[in-house]
Amino acid sequence: MDFIVLVKQVPDITNIPDEAWDKEKGTLRRGVLDTVLNPLDLHALTLACRIKEKDADKNSRMICLSMGPPQAKEVLIDAMSRGADEAILLTDRAFSGADTVATAYSLALAIKKIEKEILKKRDYIIVSGMQSVDGDTAQVPAQIAEALEIEHIAYAQSFSFEPGLVVKRIGSRGVEAIAPKTYPVLITCTACTEPLYRSFHRSRAANQKLILEWNARSVGADPDRIGLKGSRTQVYRIFSPSEERHKQCVFPESPEKLADLMGIRYKQGPSVEAPSEATSYKLAGKTPSYQGEVWVYAEQEQGVVNQVSLELISEAVKLAASLNEKVGAVLAGHNVENLAAQLISQGADKVYLAEHALLEDFLPIPYKKAVSGLVKKYRPQIMLFGATPLGRELAPRIAYSSDAGLTADCTRLEIENFQKGGTQLVGILKQTRPALGGNIMATIMTKDSRTQMATVRPGVLKALKPDPGRTGEIISFIPEINEGDIRARILSRECVHSHTSIADADIIVSGGRGLGSKAKYDRYVRPLAEALKGFLEGRIEVGASRMAVEEGFIGRDHQVGQTGQTVKPRLYIAAAISGAVQHISGMQNSDIVVAINKDPHARIFNYADYGIVGDLEAVIPKMIEAVNRGKRKS
Amino acid sequence: MSRINVLIVGAGPSGLAAAIRIKQKLNREKRSESVVVVDKAPKLGYHSLSGAIFEAQCLDELVPGWRTLSDPFVKSMVKVECDEMYYLGRGNAIKIPGFATPRPMRHQGDYAVSLGRMVDWLGKIALGEGVEIYSGFAAEKVFFDGDAVKGVRLVDLGLNREGVPKSNFLAGEELEADVTVFSDGSRGVVSTQWTERFGQGMNPQVYSVGIKQLIKLPPDNAFGANRAIHTLGFPNRADVFGGGFMYSMGENIAAVGMILGLDWRYQDLNPQQELEIFKSHPFVAGLLKGGQVVSSGVKTIPEGGYYALPKLFTDGALLIGDAAGFVNMEKIKGIHYAIRSGMCAADAICEAVIKNDFSKAALARYQKNLEEENIIRELYHARNFRQVFKFGIYLGAPLSNIQTWLPFKLGMEKDYRAMRPGAKLQRKESAGMDKAQFIGLSGAAHREDERAHIRILNPALCLECTQKYGNPCACFCPGEVYRMKGVELILSPSNCMHDGSCQVKCPYQNILWTPPEGGEGPRFKQM
Repeated sequence: MDFIVLVKQVPDITNIPDEAWDKEKGTLRRGVLDTVLNPLDLHALTLACRIKEKDADKNSRMICLSMGPPQAKEVLIDAMSRGADEAILLTDRAFSGADTVATAYSLALAIKKIEKEILKKRDYIIVSGMQSVDGDTAQVPAQIAEALEIEHIAYAQSFSFEPGLVVKRIGSRGVEAIAPKTYPVLITCTACTEPLYRSFHRSRAANQKLILEWNARSVGADPDRIGLKGSRTQVYRIFSPSEERHKQCVFPESPEKLADLMGIRYKQGPSVEAPSEATSYKLAGKTPSYQGEVWVYAEQEQGVVNQVSLELISEAVKLAASLNEKVGAVLAGHNVENLAAQLISQGADKVYLAEHALLEDFLPIPYKKAVSGLVKKYRPQIMLFGATPLGRELAPRIAYSSDAGLTADCTRLEIENFQKGGTQLVGILKQTRPALGGNIMATIMTKDSRTQMATVRPGVLKALKPDPGRTGEIISFIPEINEGDIRARILSRECVHSHTSIADADIIVSGGRGLGSKAKYDRYVRPLAEALKGFLEGRIEVGASRMAVEEGFIGRDHQVGQTGQTVKPRLYIAAAISGAVQHISGMQNSDIVVAINKDPHARIFNYADYGIVGDLEAVIPKMIEAVNRGKRKS
Repeated sequence: MSRINVLIVGAGPSGLAAAIRIKQKLNREKRSESVVVVDKAPKLGYHSLSGAIFEAQCLDELVPGWRTLSDPFVKSMVKVECDEMYYLGRGNAIKIPGFATPRPMRHQGDYAVSLGRMVDWLGKIALGEGVEIYSGFAAEKVFFDGDAVKGVRLVDLGLNREGVPKSNFLAGEELEADVTVFSDGSRGVVSTQWTERFGQGMNPQVYSVGIKQLIKLPPDNAFGANRAIHTLGFPNRADVFGGGFMYSMGENIAAVGMILGLDWRYQDLNPQQELEIFKSHPFVAGLLKGGQVVSSGVKTIPEGGYYALPKLFTDGALLIGDAAGFVNMEKIKGIHYAIRSGMCAADAICEAVIKNDFSKAALARYQKNLEEENIIRELYHARNFRQVFKFGIYLGAPLSNIQTWLPFKLGMEKDYRAMRPGAKLQRKESAGMDKAQFIGLSGAAHREDERAHIRILNPALCLECTQKYGNPCACFCPGEVYRMKGVELILSPSNCMHDGSCQVKCPYQNILWTPPEGGEGPRFKQM
């Protein structure tokens, strides 16, 4: 078995110096940042090396491939110093401006060339990290798989040989053991390994190696499908997240008031600026630039519609209203017609039903065929997907195969007109999302496509109350799927409660060194977290600063910060945390931040929405009391 | 893989100068012996820090025509036009007239430079000459074979907190070479093993800690351009050696810092706080008004000078730069010696390569070169300078003018012996930035679940220290690595900025510092 490992050179976002910020434009000067090998690609390389070791094929080759400017050679050398044998750089000015579609197209051509001229066989695995820290979309690998027409196994965590290769991955229903049936196969992985270190002797050897350089012509690229020309999305604005969220700390006069305000603000829902903006748009007689309906992919599993799909339908209703269009929900699966009613109640005018026996279990290729077939037939102007594990595997492939633009993890969607230079567009979907690890926000629009696609994370939008009295149409569609589209076997599934990671919590109550002792941490931080259960909805976890972890207040997997975990909860309560830079960088994208600290000058207050200057031994019990009172009332 | 002919441990100015010159000469002779440089910083310059006022003539021979290069580093060098010395009282500043300033302390014609940028520049030149440079690799142990050096061994990678190998464990690789150059700077890991084996010089080596920040000033700032200021007095007591400095670094950036002799007696002296107090002096604050700290860092400086020079060469190895202790305290300069000693070493090594003789006898040529280049003579001139200050500043300053004529060696104790029970500065309250922010600006980072690279040899001594000295490590470590909690000393090794103050200053010499995994530590930006 041979390996092709995809690696990318990205900015080092763990160390952003002050001068990297262009305060006027509100953007990051990427040129000032250090560059590193994308951390998840390092895991991919390690995973590939482990598989290679186990496979024990003496003639096995491991080629790492990167698309980038000449400087990207550095990460190829880095990869070879850890374990890869050979390296190829795909570089050409013509690639610049490429979005994920154009990038995937180019890389797929390079892989085809490697297969044809170097490996000369189909028995190989392509491995890559789930996503890169700059783009953050997780789209390129899935789209490469689509371009190569091969299976994609996402969220890989581990593997075994039984005797064929079996990959354990995080699926939407738990951890699945999947065996690929055909090769080549593309595997993307999470942070699932202890990454290989650079070896000095390998580094010396890598220095001597020849890195092949290929360009657009040598891989036979169609100039219309690469670079900006071949892109289906375009970034038209980058701005600082603080524009999205003004942090001006409010100091309520009492802990009780603080608990109340905190609760009210939390229940309002995630900060969505001017929620009425979407409905306030009016076409006003102008001809819109796009035609067609507004669709939502209705994700279902075992007869249950995923909550995110209901949230998306509510959003689609708003968008469609601005455009005087109808809302369609795409429902794919086997024996799922009974779910259509729920989608109609939620707001769908039409349910496009794609049923087939081979859609019983989710696999990307058959589902892609079903949904993409519908898209190509009816050409909606907008299509929304939940950014769930399933959505992240499926949406990119659908976008690639139906020639649509796709923007992942949007935090805001709006209809608006666009004007720049000679270009005038009416009623387009403005897609806003974070990038560079949340350090910047980007606004993106679709281009050169008839369909604008976007994925949105669960919990970002609000599902409105369904109206069971609504009526709608069910339109059936028979997808063209056959046995040959089933390229992998799901051997087993464990509904494992994955090792609780605070990174996915909705609410985190965090304690710092100022607590003084583990006893105090247990006496104040934990009870506050407990009290919030039942008062506020969502998953509640406890966290700590690095100092608190080092003093033994709690285990390392609760550490928040630059060297701990980065968290984005809807509510972050920081008790006795001073707010050192390394801690802030781990929680700065929290929606609501509450700070309790004895020191009025503590830095944490600069990043908080609500704060109390006081001794937490006095403040927290009062907050707990107020919370319990609130629970009794409701 | 081809054998390493010349191994250079430490990519500072001395190591890189040596590398460049060796390759220049070998290339001229059409020889292709390998010159390999290893450095523990993640990128060249990230562990380099200095004030610095630099005598640039040494570059004329190393990089001919450098003055006309349009390289960003060369452009960043700021010529010193206004060179001043002040004595700071409590609230005032008295300018010391030019004629009263000893000649070695006058810096007109020199350049204010960022050592980090210089190292980055020299690295590029070295690569151009065919030198191999590998950063992110930390040497841990010297291979001795009797008195001969065979090479070095790198640090083990992939151990967890308990010291147990993880699945990605990589045992420290062994690097063998015909000749090894020890250029790992002040308190360097391998050069410390050198002095452990071969002994110190006539006096033990002593150190200062240099604590520094880069401050971005508003466009119309009071400090001005092309200016170098050195200060004595506030906030130092008379028995604390050192002073402050402020240099124009161009683009409205000022380098501000203090140098403090590590033989202070006060158990609560916190260099990071002393710097903040220095910055709060009305004279200093006035010059820095409207400024914002963009970078911070710390490093030690070897100050023992001539009498502290150890053996400089042996079979298969030699010692250069700060690792050897080539710093002239009269001038407060060491970078040009680093470069010139690197060049002296290079000349000796090239001869050894051609003769294929790396023995002590062959490498003795290095010592001869140092003498011929007057490096030894200049250090000899300053030989008692640092020592006279152990009598305090009021005796030391006038004595420093005649120190060179004293016909005997003034001795010096190791710094750790200076701590006095009960001696406290008792600063009123904390000023300015706190350590957490300082550390944040240094970019210090280590893998969190890494085995601690710092070990307390005998924890019981820490308890004794609490009674006698009040655990001064909690104050003098700029990285806040050490903290007493009840009866236990808690370590936060991930803050470590690799300065080495702790090894110098711990009154019980109870701290063992080994290098963490390569590529970790501070990320000093343009310091």
